[in-house]
Amino acid sequence: MAVLGSFILLLTFVLASAAFSVSLVGARRQRLALVDGGVGLYHAVTALMLVASAVMIHAFVTGDYTIKYVQHYSNTAQPMFYKFASYWGGLDGSIMFWTTLLAIFGSIAIAINRERHRLLIPWVVVTLAIIEMFFLFLMVIHNNPFSTFLTSHPTDGQGLNPLLQNYYMAIHPPMLYLGFTGMAIPFAFGIGALASGQLDDGWLTAVRRWTMFAWVFLTVGLTLGALWAYEELGWGGYWMWDPVENAGLLPWFTATAFLHSVMVQERRGMLKIWNVSLVIVTFFLTIFGTFMTRSGVVQSVHAFGEDRELAMLFTGFMILTLVLSFGLVIYRMPLLRSRNELDSWASREAAFLVNNWVLLFAAFFTLFATMFPTLSEAVRGERVTVGAPFFNQWMIPVGFIMLFLTGVGPLLAWRKSTVTNLVEQFLWPALAAAAVIVTCLVVHIPIWASGLSFTLCAFVATSIGQEFVRGASVRHRATGTDRFTALVGLFSRSRRRYGGYIVHIGIVLVFLGFAGRGFERSETISLKPGETFSDMKPYAVTYNALTVTQDPAKQMVTADLTVTRSGKAFANMYPARWFFVGHEQEPTTEVALRRTPAEDFYVVLASYEAGDQSAHFQVHINPLVNWIWLGVGIMVMGSIVAFLPERAIAFATAKVPQGSVTTALLLFLVLTVPGLARAQTPSGVIPESAVERELMSEIMCTCGCRLTAQNCGMPNCEGKAAQRAKLAGLIAKGLTKDQILAAFVKDFGSEDILSRPPDRGFNRLAWAFPYAAGLLGIGVVAGMAVRWTRRKDHEPDPVITADSRHDLEDRLDDELRDLD
Amino acid sequence: MSKKLIRVLIAVVVIGGAFATLLATTMRENAQYFKEVNEVMPSAPAWYGKALQLHGFVVAGSIQRKPDTLDYRFMVKNGDSEVRADYTGVVPDTFKDGAEVVLKGRLTSTGYKVDENGVVAKCPSKYQATGTGGK
Repeated sequence: MAVLGSFILLLTFVLASAAFSVSLVGARRQRLALVDGGVGLYHAVTALMLVASAVMIHAFVTGDYTIKYVQHYSNTAQPMFYKFASYWGGLDGSIMFWTTLLAIFGSIAIAINRERHRLLIPWVVVTLAIIEMFFLFLMVIHNNPFSTFLTSHPTDGQGLNPLLQNYYMAIHPPMLYLGFTGMAIPFAFGIGALASGQLDDGWLTAVRRWTMFAWVFLTVGLTLGALWAYEELGWGGYWMWDPVENAGLLPWFTATAFLHSVMVQERRGMLKIWNVSLVIVTFFLTIFGTFMTRSGVVQSVHAFGEDRELAMLFTGFMILTLVLSFGLVIYRMPLLRSRNELDSWASREAAFLVNNWVLLFAAFFTLFATMFPTLSEAVRGERVTVGAPFFNQWMIPVGFIMLFLTGVGPLLAWRKSTVTNLVEQFLWPALAAAAVIVTCLVVHIPIWASGLSFTLCAFVATSIGQEFVRGASVRHRATGTDRFTALVGLFSRSRRRYGGYIVHIGIVLVFLGFAGRGFERSETISLKPGETFSDMKPYAVTYNALTVTQDPAKQMVTADLTVTRSGKAFANMYPARWFFVGHEQEPTTEVALRRTPAEDFYVVLASYEAGDQSAHFQVHINPLVNWIWLGVGIMVMGSIVAFLPERAIAFATAKVPQGSVTTALLLFLVLTVPGLARAQTPSGVIPESAVERELMSEIMCTCGCRLTAQNCGMPNCEGKAAQRAKLAGLIAKGLTKDQILAAFVKDFGSEDILSRPPDRGFNRLAWAFPYAAGLLGIGVVAGMAVRWTRRKDHEPDPVITADSRHDLEDRLDDELRDLD
Repeated sequence: MSKKLIRVLIAVVVIGGAFATLLATTMRENAQYFKEVNEVMPSAPAWYGKALQLHGFVVAGSIQRKPDTLDYRFMVKNGDSEVRADYTGVVPDTFKDGAEVVLKGRLTSTGYKVDENGVVAKCPSKYQATGTGGK
């Protein structure tokens, strides 16, 4: 299988090169057959990458430890879920995963926009194919995920790092990668527009939607990373300006900037060069982020030397990207001239411009500070580092400016705001802000950071509320419906605008959560069993006992705490340290966490004495943290409202907002519930022999969990206990392994009880999957080939499509409404 | 046009200068030298009292803890030089004999005093971050 995988990667590289050259020639000579050929080849690349991924997943699922990568990041005991997650657990696999995602997105984007932007498409294919080629080249030459052990290979894997065996960690990288790769699509369209000279605002529609799509995933990905840090690392916080975190934040800033400034171009025909540049920079930062975190350049200039080849390849690719893209921008400068000039600084476009500067500043400051140790080492030969306090010192004010602009932007009119409408618009938000700041002063909330944050939150929330109320009452008067229906109608009429406001509400909640950091408290306490700590009012912590339990994957040391709040029972908490088999030297901290809307009570078992059972705990009280996660959920919800296609709106005008609310809430629940539900009650003590353990993983658990009896994680699983008891009995009788398995099959009535019937069921399915996927891929390619050879006639390009006319009408409509 | 250009240029210079000055001053407060143990110890008195990040390895068997407290005392070594470090607080999971550590704190004549939460230990086994930071 490993050979097949390597071969597929090589073949994909060849096909990507073909897609690149065919499309390039097709675009320059305007030959439809070549253009279609390029598109077909690109789809073939996607199909092959899917097959390669299937081969990789197959290797993980069946435990093919001849492949180094599989051996490194997986083992037999690992639950199925983490076997899948191991695919992106390391460098080589994550590059492959990235390449696959990009191929899929590319194919989707090409399929959707093929008819709409005919002149752009060949250039889009050219750009995407180059990016694919780079990563494929990287895999083929340098980091082949399918490389095998040359001689003898280990019989089991090393297993995924225990720290990464966490629900959030398994889905956080894919989310982030979805965001990262998604940003390549706008870039490809931008380059397509530049290269073809089709720089009217048409390309922006495609680009805007993809940027928004990628932005949502980036946001969710960053949040999941923060949640992981919060729940798994056990230091009580969620963001520490770690270089790897920053790498994801950089493109987030520039993409956010683009999503705002694109509106200025759509409305006013300004900022064209700026927008194209933002798209390029965003893509560049996704590549740079990958480079920064993967090549070791951040740790030290010297680490950079350790993987010089990878670093050089990345540097070359980044330089190529920058030179080619900005070369094109300069070449097309005459076409990018502004249609209008800024009329006044008291206008919405000016607010957007300032917002862009601030966001861009945030991005470059973060980049600078992250790279500062490396820069200083390169320039002065002396490594000087800056820590989280430095970031906070700068980014907190920057965050406040951004939050302030969030409130100001919607209050200003396009072109120019008059003094009267400034007064009218700012009256209520300013009053709300004043009320909050006075309250803060009265109750002695420190103004810097927290107080100011609350004030600005009030300002923004009021300004958004005002927009909703005024919009609804205008519509209520115009259509004569009740106000609620008017509000729903408002959403369906300009979902981008009101979806955007919902995103802003989410931002307000996130900042509210940030403000909570000003009130966090933490204590390190040491207790003996039976003692109570009550200095952290109103909580009191009683330490009951320390228990040691074991399950097949790990040993668990768990402390049993009873927490009371103002004398009333609050929670039983079980902070623990887990020692995974094979990773005994690196115990993981299992945080005990009790969430409430007002604050989280967060306990870490720091250390313990085996002798007298005394233990040290770190207790954090983190106010308002949950509002961050809730805020992000609302941001996702708003984005979905803004993102929904017009057709869906037309189809079910009234239903859509409800539907999206439900979807986003579900998504939000998916994100948070496992964290809440993840029980830390240790499973019972399980004595077992090696034979027993082996057999337990061959037999399915009967509780309905669809896992082997060994891996069943259900609390108090009866199936597992029953199987174990039966197994112990059979072993005691002195039966051989095969006889025992036969006995199980006989009692159960079918071979479904076995986890891997020899060459049957699941195993055969797993074996067949790559081949089926391969056949499907070939089918797709063949279908494409047939289609494009059949089509001979050149169709003329439509000049004004129904779509663009619709867009124009929409815009006119909005413009008119803004006048009232 | 040229008048506008001059105005823009002046604005850029003033704002840019202000930022650069701010950046430089805040950086001075926050910047810490990052040094190897064997870079610092030969000229130790020159470093007394300065904010300093120290990179080295925990000497095997040197970790001591005062019973019933979180006061740690251990030796950090790199190359030929060693220094004694004192720390009070919770150590990360990966802190143990032989671990590669980065300490934040100050060097004094009686040894290296580690700041609160100033111990960052790297896993001796390879750990590749998959997209977010590890501590």
